[in-house]
Amino acid sequence: MSLATAFKSGDLTLLPSKRDEDWRWTDLRGLIREVPPPSPAFNGETPPGVFDHLAEDFHVLANGGSAQIVADEGELTAVLRFLSANDGTAHAAKVSIEVAAGASLTLLETYEGYGAGYFAQADLTIRLGEGAKLERIVLAGDDAEAISVSQAEVTLAAGSSYAQTVLTDGAKRQRIETRIAHPGAGASVRLDGGYLLRDRRHADLTTAIAHEGVDGTTSQLTKGVVDDQARGVFQGRITVAHGADRTDARMGHHALILSDRAEVDAKPELLIFADDVQCAHGNTVGALDENQLFYAQQRGLPADAARALLTAAFVGEVIDRIEHETARETARAWLNQWLGVGE
Amino acid sequence: MANPRIATQTVEHVERLEAYEHGFVSDIEQEFAPKGLSADTIRFISAKKEEPQWLLDWRLEAFERWQELEEPAWAKVHFPRIDYQDAYYYAAPKTKEGPKSLDEVDPEILAVYAKLGIPLGEQAVLAGVQGAPKYAVDAVFDSVSVVTTFKKELAAVGVIFCSFSEAVREHPELVKKYLGSVVPTSDNYYACLNSAVFSDGSFVYVPPGVRCPMELSTYFRINAAESGQFERTLIIADKAAYVSYLEGCTAPMRDENQLHAAVVELVLLEDAEIKYSTVQNWYPGDPQTGKGGIYNFVTKRADCRGDRSKVSWTQVETGSAITWKYPSCLLRGEGSVGEFYSIAITNGRQQADTGTKMIHLGANTRSRIISKGISAGKSSNTYRGLVSAHPKATGSRNFTQCDSLLIGKDCAAHTVPYIEARNGHSIFEHEATTTRLSEDQLFYAQQRGLSEEEAVQLLVNGFVREVLQELPMEFAVEAQKLVAISLEGSVG
Repeated sequence: MSLATAFKSGDLTLLPSKRDEDWRWTDLRGLIREVPPPSPAFNGETPPGVFDHLAEDFHVLANGGSAQIVADEGELTAVLRFLSANDGTAHAAKVSIEVAAGASLTLLETYEGYGAGYFAQADLTIRLGEGAKLERIVLAGDDAEAISVSQAEVTLAAGSSYAQTVLTDGAKRQRIETRIAHPGAGASVRLDGGYLLRDRRHADLTTAIAHEGVDGTTSQLTKGVVDDQARGVFQGRITVAHGADRTDARMGHHALILSDRAEVDAKPELLIFADDVQCAHGNTVGALDENQLFYAQQRGLPADAARALLTAAFVGEVIDRIEHETARETARAWLNQWLGVGE
Repeated sequence: MANPRIATQTVEHVERLEAYEHGFVSDIEQEFAPKGLSADTIRFISAKKEEPQWLLDWRLEAFERWQELEEPAWAKVHFPRIDYQDAYYYAAPKTKEGPKSLDEVDPEILAVYAKLGIPLGEQAVLAGVQGAPKYAVDAVFDSVSVVTTFKKELAAVGVIFCSFSEAVREHPELVKKYLGSVVPTSDNYYACLNSAVFSDGSFVYVPPGVRCPMELSTYFRINAAESGQFERTLIIADKAAYVSYLEGCTAPMRDENQLHAAVVELVLLEDAEIKYSTVQNWYPGDPQTGKGGIYNFVTKRADCRGDRSKVSWTQVETGSAITWKYPSCLLRGEGSVGEFYSIAITNGRQQADTGTKMIHLGANTRSRIISKGISAGKSSNTYRGLVSAHPKATGSRNFTQCDSLLIGKDCAAHTVPYIEARNGHSIFEHEATTTRLSEDQLFYAQQRGLSEEEAVQLLVNGFVREVLQELPMEFAVEAQKLVAISLEGSVG
């Protein structure tokens, strides 16, 4: 399922619709009525990005394009920026990322909408060698009218470690999808996400992890906050294949709904074909705790500040799990800015 | 550390399951509708049951819609395409004319129920349960209800408990008002098929303020070969009424697959309460080859129309080759409550895709889901559930707990919950775990002197206890036995 294929062929029935089980809450076919024109080549000046100063390896894909990131030894910090600069046009980007055996990569990835109502597709192929390590931090800041799809296919090797944190404030329709082939064999995955949505924004965080061998671990935590008429979607699937014993997989999704017109849809799935496993998921959706709000107000905080404080603490748990210190602080600043609170 | 010896032993135990004990066939003279499905089959069934024109029209309209519908494919179950023309849609024991009393029922049929342990005599009490309360039984044999007990005693307090056919004759106004009002004809493929060809089932009406003085129960038995059973149950609890209803089912062992596509509709008005319990033990098919067994494709739904009404579904699903069943609650009335307690056990080559839907439409509605799945052998067991809250359902609350237990290397357990929350004043909580029985607990119990078999039974009983507790006593006894039989000696 990809925007690019449908646009290239001109056949909009190739777009995923709510009749497709994996897209039931992120309908694209009903939304896109005609094929948009392709985005022109970008020849403006690249605005500064939040992670630029950390880059040892720097890639900007403006209005599509392709890139390759290779970490072949030691530690590398790469910055990858997807820019959408025009209004109402469509583009696609392709990136391949390779972390060689024993190497370590920090990938700081941003989606930046400077145009309005664009159609953006990003495809990432990520491969980790034996014992390789990757921490991927994604900050998605799309335009409110944009339709944006990012899909990553991740393949892990024995003993490798993959950690991901996706933070987004949504778009008109936005889907950030991660599919991981997990070989077990001591490999570990941490897969986190946070969505903060207001107005009529939509964000869909979808993950699918296939545990294919023994001794694999996965730890997943996604938190969301939706306000106004926004809609947050979480779909997480953990599959444990026949014989993938001693798998330890845990998934959590927790969302706050701050308005009676907002919506959260969740489908945390466990598909288990092996018996010697520990798998669990937890899912909660609710409002801010009235008692906590009351307590904070009673200690002298105005209602708005109390609400922001509690929301920051709620989403903060995801941010605390980011290992890269500077990136963690950048993420926290992004959260505070969304909440409208200073440090 | 895993103990490979225990693991192998227990898996072998499970394979050596006690054979299906209700698999006998009774040689009873029966009459059938012509094989196949057409408008004429439906006219035949309707004529046989001497139905009024409106009901025949209703059936024919459902049949027309059914022909346009597609068979659903989203469940995690696999089976060859069903040839709907290769089955009998009506099979009934030949009976004498005239009003029925127990004395007039074919003694062969009574013998069947005696063999199944179902007391049809009004003095009979459930064997082995001292001081058990009375309970009324509607016995459905293939396509017809053969007898309903305790009708007079129930009528004295105004409770109507009879076969569906009788309700159509005696209480057409009630049937007309409520039939299809909870599960519309074209709700889904199997419900639509049922609406066209349904044969018999039970009808219950409990008048305002009445607490039904005894448990009501229906016992479904498929006997005829190459036939399907399409029963229809309709229960109406009027304002502040209460009724507890139980159903049980068994079928002979055959190499062919037989279809059971039932529809159950529950209507609850203000302050009413219905407790609906099922022990489903249809023939599951051959555990080695997977040949035969019942396809159990059932639509069950409760409509809590009145404020503060409450419905509670409890199911113990141990049988059937394939189970496709989602007893659901429409929580419309303010403050209404829906509960779903389920034990689903699959073994051999059984496949189950079962769960519930809690649709919160009214304010301050509450729901609770406790699901315990146990898979063994080469079976597959899926919990699929939906919890949704409408924007107007503020203050609604759901708690869901789904636990799966795996026994053996070749079985599968899946959890597929859907949560759709559309307001800012509700709380939904869902948790799920998938594990096998703890080696430590097994070791501990054995080390205290229990045999491996007893240890496993103790732990499995502990695993499903929360659900067993919800069953009325009469059924809890049967269900506990079933759980033990289904998983005798299990696990590692």
